[in-house]
Amino acid sequence: METTENAVICTDLVKVYGDKGKSPVRALDYLSLEIHRGEIFGILGRNGAGKTTLLRILTTLIPPTSGTASIMGFDVTSDPRRVRDHLCVVLQENAVEVFLSVEDNFRTYARFHSLSSEQFRRNADRVMNQFGLTEHRNQKVIDLSGGLKRRVQVAKVFMVDKPVVFLDEATTGMDPINKRATLDAIREQARLGRTIVLTTHMLQEAEELCNRIAIIDRGKLVALGDLPTIKALASDVYDVSVTFEVLTADAREHLQSLPLLKLEHTNNTASFSVKGSEALGIITALSHRHTILHFEASSASLEDVFLELLSREEKPT
Amino acid sequence: MNMVLAVMYREFRIRTTSLTWLFYDLLVPLVYLLMFGIGLDRAFGGGISMGGETYGYNAFFLAGVLSMACFGIAINTSYGFFVDRDNGIFYEFLTYPMSRAEFLVGKILFNCVLSVCQALLTIGLGMGILGIPVQWSGMVLALAAMVFGTAGWFFFLTGFALRIRRNDVFNTFINVAYFVLMFASSMFYPVESLPGVLRLISFANPLSWHTDLLRYSTIGAGDPGTVALETVGFALFLCASFLFSLQTLRRGVVH
Repeated sequence: METTENAVICTDLVKVYGDKGKSPVRALDYLSLEIHRGEIFGILGRNGAGKTTLLRILTTLIPPTSGTASIMGFDVTSDPRRVRDHLCVVLQENAVEVFLSVEDNFRTYARFHSLSSEQFRRNADRVMNQFGLTEHRNQKVIDLSGGLKRRVQVAKVFMVDKPVVFLDEATTGMDPINKRATLDAIREQARLGRTIVLTTHMLQEAEELCNRIAIIDRGKLVALGDLPTIKALASDVYDVSVTFEVLTADAREHLQSLPLLKLEHTNNTASFSVKGSEALGIITALSHRHTILHFEASSASLEDVFLELLSREEKPT
Repeated sequence: MNMVLAVMYREFRIRTTSLTWLFYDLLVPLVYLLMFGIGLDRAFGGGISMGGETYGYNAFFLAGVLSMACFGIAINTSYGFFVDRDNGIFYEFLTYPMSRAEFLVGKILFNCVLSVCQALLTIGLGMGILGIPVQWSGMVLALAAMVFGTAGWFFFLTGFALRIRRNDVFNTFINVAYFVLMFASSMFYPVESLPGVLRLISFANPLSWHTDLLRYSTIGAGDPGTVALETVGFALFLCASFLFSLQTLRRGVVH
């Protein structure tokens, strides 16, 4: 069963939530995708797109309404116990034993994942050190800050050796240093051959980490591929930065009247995303009315692509 | 088995973080027996008649207290799902490499051990302080009844704890259920003395079945044939409750 080269396979997954007295909500709508072994795979989408529902199905928390999904060749519906043998999860919500110490949180987690005492000692020391938890190891988790609690939750999954790791918004609430430690740990685990599936709102994080990305919206797959492939889907978008001699109120008003996908300004510099066919015309129009000292144009970031693809989905066909 | 032990270990770690919790689980039934039992023992000076025998109220009430202790531990353990849900850890548990049945069984097994300790303490001190004439020959049966009682009520309440999303609603449900089950049972008085409908409800109440088994095993009171029938009834109740809670967990517990 474990000979498949894909760690995760979803075929025509549908999930409909139907509370009594409420109209049913279709969270996943015939979603199909494959995640290769050993890759870092990002699932992106706005709030309510279906990311967490997908993760809940893949981690056997809820059954799909129809369709199939398998982890390492085991079906999530018919063989959930075997599926759980092959994964570990960081859920979006905080999940810690608040009445236990940090070390006891690790100890109970190790028991559930059948680590020997020796493995526990070695691995717990390593990840506590990696995530800056050593000095807190004897403190009760209830006394820790929100960020530290999150670190305990994330760190413990790196103590065990399961082929597939699901991370749902894992770095939420972490400071930049620990976020960096988490990203490094994810890369290290992927190098060891583990498959990492992460959902995130931090598009920069996905851009930095992921081998391949799926963008989903309203339960449907909007885009799937590696970063260049995804960017190519919205190749028409460019990031432009324009530095004016003075960014006057008139210039700001002018910028706001233009068909830009995104606009930010700091001091005398305006940064915006724009469709390729309109980029030149916009810069020319700005230069006719205002004095421009400098401008730069580059291919779109993942965030721009994300916004472009989702805005396409919103347009009526 | 490893996973059942892992869940038991986790329950042990959690329970031993709170001395209040342990005190409640181990000693409160005994305190209840001493305070409530002594008062009623005086009130029912002539004792309670059952099957031609007369028993002191303390002896009669011992089974009620033990039965209450099982129910109390089951309430605490099933309420633990709300605490685990609030801490988010409940959902993480469901992704651990174990079956839903292992999770449920492991969760209650440690608490069954606790209920056995509680029973030994209550029976021992009940004999020593109140002079309750407990029959040693029924001790194994009494301890087995503690295990099955704790598990049965835990599985029964778990099905509701997992389906009810709000803990205040669950609290209300527990209060109403406990009130009805307790007073329409043989916990405080022989059901034969109850008026028509209440007696009927009491005969159909698993709490009566369980209390009667405990009473038979501790002081030998009750008709063996009826107690055997009630034991079978409670075993069926336990199995049905287990399947009910298991099905609820398997169906998927949405936040």
